[in-house]
Amino acid sequence: MKHTEQELQSLKEEVSQMWKLVLSQLEKAKQAFLNNDIELAREIVSREKRVDAFELKIDSDCENYIALYSPVAIDLRLALSLIKISATLERIGDFAEGVARHVIDDDCSKIHPQIIEELQMERMFELLISMLSDSFVALESENTKVSGKILAQDDAVDAIYYASLDILTIYLQAEPSFLRCGLKLALLIRKLERIGDHCSNIVEEIVFYVDAKVLKHGMK
Amino acid sequence: MIQAKDINFYYGDFQALKNISMEIAAHTVTAFIGPSGCGKSTFLRLFNRMNDLIDNVRLTGECLVEGENIYHKSVQVDELRKKVGMVFQKPNPFPKSIFENVAYGLRVNGIRDKKYIARQVEESLRAAALWDEVKDKLKKSAFELSGGQQQRLCIARALAISPSILLMDEPASALDPISTSKIEELIHSLKKDYTIVIVTHNMQQAARVSDKTGFFMLGELIEYDDTKKIFLKPEKEQTQNYITGRFG
Amino acid sequence: MTMNKKTEQKIAFALFRLLGLLVAGILFWILGFIIYNGIGVISWEFLTTAPTEGMTAGGIFPAIAGTLCLVAGSVALAFPVGVMSAVYMNEYAGNNWMVRFIRVMTNNLGSIPSIVFGLFGMTLFVNTLGFGDSILAGSCTLGLLVLPLIIRTTEEALKAIPGSFRTGSLALGASKLQTIRKVVLPMAFPNIVTGLILSVGRVSGETAPILFTVAAYFLPKLPDSLFSQVMALPYHLYVIATSGTDIEASRPIAYGTALVLIVIVLLMNLLAATLRKLK
Repeated sequence: MKHTEQELQSLKEEVSQMWKLVLSQLEKAKQAFLNNDIELAREIVSREKRVDAFELKIDSDCENYIALYSPVAIDLRLALSLIKISATLERIGDFAEGVARHVIDDDCSKIHPQIIEELQMERMFELLISMLSDSFVALESENTKVSGKILAQDDAVDAIYYASLDILTIYLQAEPSFLRCGLKLALLIRKLERIGDHCSNIVEEIVFYVDAKVLKHGMK
Repeated sequence: MIQAKDINFYYGDFQALKNISMEIAAHTVTAFIGPSGCGKSTFLRLFNRMNDLIDNVRLTGECLVEGENIYHKSVQVDELRKKVGMVFQKPNPFPKSIFENVAYGLRVNGIRDKKYIARQVEESLRAAALWDEVKDKLKKSAFELSGGQQQRLCIARALAISPSILLMDEPASALDPISTSKIEELIHSLKKDYTIVIVTHNMQQAARVSDKTGFFMLGELIEYDDTKKIFLKPEKEQTQNYITGRFG
Repeated sequence: MTMNKKTEQKIAFALFRLLGLLVAGILFWILGFIIYNGIGVISWEFLTTAPTEGMTAGGIFPAIAGTLCLVAGSVALAFPVGVMSAVYMNEYAGNNWMVRFIRVMTNNLGSIPSIVFGLFGMTLFVNTLGFGDSILAGSCTLGLLVLPLIIRTTEEALKAIPGSFRTGSLALGASKLQTIRKVVLPMAFPNIVTGLILSVGRVSGETAPILFTVAAYFLPKLPDSLFSQVMALPYHLYVIATSGTDIEASRPIAYGTALVLIVIVLLMNLLAATLRKLK
């Protein structure tokens, strides 16, 4: 392997480490939320700084790589997409932290568990985790066949999000004492929906890198 | 402007070009890139029949310049070379004055009109962005110029006989970065009046100056497309490996 | 280790320097010897009058004049032929068997002993062509002798011109002849002239080729046509040093003649150096 390739390889390595970190943050956020585990939530908050540090490191490494190696074609596309992917992963990390803070605030722990179930929040978490890990595999294997599946999962996440408003409205009319908690829950679901969008963006970046196609903004 | 059809070219038994076809449009800059010995310079030199100077070569296929088959028996090589100018890798001004260097092509082509020659020399030097630097020392030897100036003088010399096509064989590979960027600037400004074909080892240079890029390997034209396409998303894996430095 | 290397180097270079100085020393010794012994007889009269009293007195003017005639004659014959054939071989002919053959033969011609040229010249020019003992026969013989030198130096001069100048000229629509006339020959000119002057030096110093073709033992008058015999400096030197009427008495004149010969050759070389710089 040439040293220019090693340079790229170590960039990819950093991104995959960040990826694993963000994925575990998301998994922990799911656990913390479903189990109201405040300890775990605190751990997520404390590890958020590491996600931020990764983003800064990857940004500056990509900048150096572009400045020093003047990459073209697939190498350039990889560097460009890694910059964007690291920024996106950082946003996902922020949302995981948001979930954790929601748990730490602890004012919703009394809410009826069946409403959480009705809102399909566990399913939502699972979809997001699967999107994030599938897209990771796509980058590692430089294979974009799964992109369709991932984008379909995002549609499923969106569907849950849209359904949640009606469910919450009905629930809160019946249980007005949970109004504040319900609003927070709505915001949380909104955050999860955003994670789905970010995962889609990552997939689009991977498709740009591997196939040099631009999927963004419906430019299929 | 230039059309090559099914070109095969041999040095003795060695086939240097394999079945190459290409069309080059007027007023564009076309860059040929590829590893050493890939045939890009050989291909370039077909267009002004510089390969004729080498013994024991053979060509099949057609090469048309402005619609005329330049390898037809009726073609006068010196007439062709007036139409298709060439700039070489190393600046090669003659050991004459700056003025005489530029006037050389006119004189060997039988032009005696002093006024015309003087005007043509000035215009060529201006076009080569050299006039302001040399206008007060036209009688000085060309060897007193710097390498970059010498190369621009060679470009002026080629322009003086009013070619329509300019071939450049690694015109900046012997120059420092500042002179190189001047040459690149020049190529860019000459595009409106000339059709330029440039061979370069410097891929960034090809990316900066050319509209179209042809990638050669082992005597074959692997890929020929818009420069942007080649450098963002080449079709062929060989092209990608070469431009990203993974070749070999 | 490094110390050793340094000492080693110092010793080696000291040796080289010594040998270099030795060569120069010998050269200066010869020069000094000739000047010391010859300077006494040099005078205006010595340079402008003919020898007298069985060549034990008087000057060497006819020999100087004869040598100059032979130099001019041989160069006039050999220079155009040599330069043109070198141009042909280097610029036109390419690298085929014939050119290689000519080149080998030229080099061989250059290593033939000059006395053989003398014999050949006598047979061909003096007898067969009927020039008799004459400036013409002598010049032809000397011309043949220096032809290889001129061809070789011209070829070297042409080879030293990078091909890029030729292609540069051809790419501007110049013909091959124009390229040679306007670019190659002017660039090669200083080196060609240097070769020419070296051959002048060679011609003026040769004895053997003129022995049977032109040189006169004693002829105290100037030549009046191409078919005259002449005296020549090297032959004159040979004569008075070995077979004169009174060898002891003419010894100072011999040294004087040698000095004049050396000065002529040195002047030629100086001229060559100056011309090369002038360019």
